[in-house]
Amino acid sequence: MTEENIFHFSGERAWCPGCGDYSILSSVEKALVNLRKKPHEVLIVSGIGQAAKLPHYINTNGFDGLHGRALPAAFGAKVANHKLMVLVTSGDGDIYGEGGNHFIHAIRRNIDITLIVHNNQVYGLTKGQASPTSDLGMVTKTQPDGVVTIPFNPLTMAITLDAVFVARSFSKEIEFTSKLIEEGINTPGFSLIDVLQPCVSFNHVNTYKWYSDRVYQLDNSYDPADKSKAYKKSSEWGDKIPIGVIYKNSRRTYLDNFIKPKDLPLIKRKTNIRGIESLINELY
Amino acid sequence: MPIDFNITIAGSAGQGLQTIANILLKVLARSGYHLFSSQDYMSRIRGGHNFTNIRLSDKPIYSTTVSPQLLVALDQQSVDVHYKHLADPAIIIHDSDTIKVKKSKKIQDVAIPLAKLSRESGSSAYVNSAAVGALFALLRLDLNDLITFLETRFIKKSPEQIKGNINAATKGFTYTSENYTNIKINIDKARKKNRMLINGAESISIGMIAGGIRFISAYPMTPSTGIFTYITGKARKFGIISEQAEDEIAACNMVLGASAAGARTAVTTSGGGLSLMCEGISLAGAAEIPIVIANMQRPGPATGFPTRTAQEDLDLVLNIGHGEFPRFIFAPGTAEEAFYTSIHAMNLAEKYQVPVFILGDQHLIDSCITLDKLNPNKVKYKNYMVKNSDLKKPYFRYKNTKSGVSPLAYYGQDKVTFIVDSHIHTEDGHISEDMVVARKLTEKRFRKINGMKKEFYGPQYYGLKNAKTIFVSWGSTYGAVRETIDSLLEKKKSVAMIHYNKIWPFPVEESIQLLKSGKDICVVENNYQAQFNRLLKRETNIDTGEPVLRYDGRPFNVQYIIEKFEKRQK
Repeated sequence: MTEENIFHFSGERAWCPGCGDYSILSSVEKALVNLRKKPHEVLIVSGIGQAAKLPHYINTNGFDGLHGRALPAAFGAKVANHKLMVLVTSGDGDIYGEGGNHFIHAIRRNIDITLIVHNNQVYGLTKGQASPTSDLGMVTKTQPDGVVTIPFNPLTMAITLDAVFVARSFSKEIEFTSKLIEEGINTPGFSLIDVLQPCVSFNHVNTYKWYSDRVYQLDNSYDPADKSKAYKKSSEWGDKIPIGVIYKNSRRTYLDNFIKPKDLPLIKRKTNIRGIESLINELY
Repeated sequence: MPIDFNITIAGSAGQGLQTIANILLKVLARSGYHLFSSQDYMSRIRGGHNFTNIRLSDKPIYSTTVSPQLLVALDQQSVDVHYKHLADPAIIIHDSDTIKVKKSKKIQDVAIPLAKLSRESGSSAYVNSAAVGALFALLRLDLNDLITFLETRFIKKSPEQIKGNINAATKGFTYTSENYTNIKINIDKARKKNRMLINGAESISIGMIAGGIRFISAYPMTPSTGIFTYITGKARKFGIISEQAEDEIAACNMVLGASAAGARTAVTTSGGGLSLMCEGISLAGAAEIPIVIANMQRPGPATGFPTRTAQEDLDLVLNIGHGEFPRFIFAPGTAEEAFYTSIHAMNLAEKYQVPVFILGDQHLIDSCITLDKLNPNKVKYKNYMVKNSDLKKPYFRYKNTKSGVSPLAYYGQDKVTFIVDSHIHTEDGHISEDMVVARKLTEKRFRKINGMKKEFYGPQYYGLKNAKTIFVSWGSTYGAVRETIDSLLEKKKSVAMIHYNKIWPFPVEESIQLLKSGKDICVVENNYQAQFNRLLKRETNIDTGEPVLRYDGRPFNVQYIIEKFEKRQK
């Protein structure tokens, strides 16, 4: 990083040593520096979970709201002020579990925000229960016989709903992840970057080594515009796990329907009293 | 004799009752009558039994009554249901071929071949227009006003349909004029004064727009949907964005995100949806995010009576959201009060950065009243966001101030950054586990109450000074209670009423002052547990008498209150 990192937060971070969250935070900072953004131009929204603490550890605007509800809050903020760059950083439990319904509808709306999911396949904050992306058979205190519910595949779901940008990364690959985040931000509409991330305290299956042995970067021969290939790629899991842009598409963003880029943001608009008088006159 | 005339228009869903009612209301309002109209409808789109009551008078009226002097019955069921409630004398307008009316001394039977007249006009779909023509003839209203109305209001219909409707209306009018010359209805021609006609949904919506709403999100739920629909219809014109959320949880959190970013916002819902917003409202309390929640009550629990009225959510809004935080609760009594209250609500949410509830109900939302005017200058939009010139850096979103209110900036304002947070947090919004931080933060939030107590809408006293019997209303029971007072005052009783619009923070001192003369205090409310009565006793330590309650999904009327009140005296 040649430029100064103006996004750096100097306070304490309440994450376990070795947590993948640190690397994802670095990737976010790198992407913002590379995009030459200023801290006040950026809003990072999160829900609840270890990953959701991220907005506290970076020098931007933040909204640390409720478990599962980051996407609706981010939608509202973007609608209120479309000049803000809005990112969501939260975990797999938050986005795919508690907030699963909002995940579906946020993609449908195609609001121009970038969602970075810290996917460690386990619940960290509540100490090690299965998450919606835990692999079958994973034994935890609340799944003592192993997980029996099939894992949620966020990528396949996002492709089905025609998300405009669907990518996967691995937290250890900081540079690669930051490039995907940049690309997601630069793509108008709803971008999903699912970042695989080890949980050093609670996930003893999907470790650094487990992921490192399996992930491979997609090369130029792969065409993310091909939806049927993207489906296939999105469900590749096991011995080989692809990382990179899985699917790309383009369609109108939510706000394209209501606001022109040069329009005043909602927060700057005023209601004139004449308008109110006209509403009252309609009642006669 | 003062005019007080009641019309009931009844039939099944899909027969065009609302069209008849709307035309009649509009024309009567333009003729200078004071009107009150309430709706009784079922949760279905076709069939069933629905009716609208229209009461007209030459003086302002505030409630509905039970005994119509004129019934327009569009099906047999309508006659069967309403027959026993009719006034003496009463008129029934109905189709002569398909609907039978039992002969009685008190009934004047106006049998008109409505279906036949409709078919002669080109379709069987114009029965309601033929009926409205008959109504106009009996009420001695001008046929030309009706025709003009049909021409201008039916613009979405084809020219053929408009012509058909006008023909049917004219035939209904002519037939009635020729065959029922003997029927005299005792409503004098009111002075030609154009009054506006407004329902609670419109008044809350226009109030919110005047209060500067920029973003609204909701999930449709009866009886609140009218507000969401109205504001959405005006969104483009007023630079508002409206989004129908996937559920009420999303609606609430969208609005909180927008509000944190600096937009004025509101959600509209009813009890079931409000229950889903519980955690979001707690977030608004914790993160001090302005939000207006218009909760329009219907009977519960769970799905309850979807299209009926109730005041069962008072305890819920007093307590909704885990943890402790200050809030405002308003319960306007009339459409007029709802308009001004809604502007205040939008201002106060931002001024104190707290959730503000507007607690209405189906009766307030769907009832139409006439007003001389609404003054959009009476309560003004006021911006409570911090000005750039007053924005101190570094900016602390949760600065611990004397008033408890921290300067409110929007993200990126004058290049500041800040975090809005749901935890116990420091003044700069960062998560804290410190006990001193926790204590100070809680105390800061609750210091706002001092200012909030001084805000608008203390209890209003109406009736005899130092009255022995004091009735208490809150929200939409205002109208029926007010007319009860008028009726009892005519009988020289020592009565008065206190109406509560602002319910929280509870106006303790004012209440004690106003209630002290009362030997008997009677709270009137639409629920079983007498929730307001309990609150009043708890906050003032004043003993109240047995409350008058109703929990069958229907609004109060004067007869009901007096009957229950007299029983209770014995």
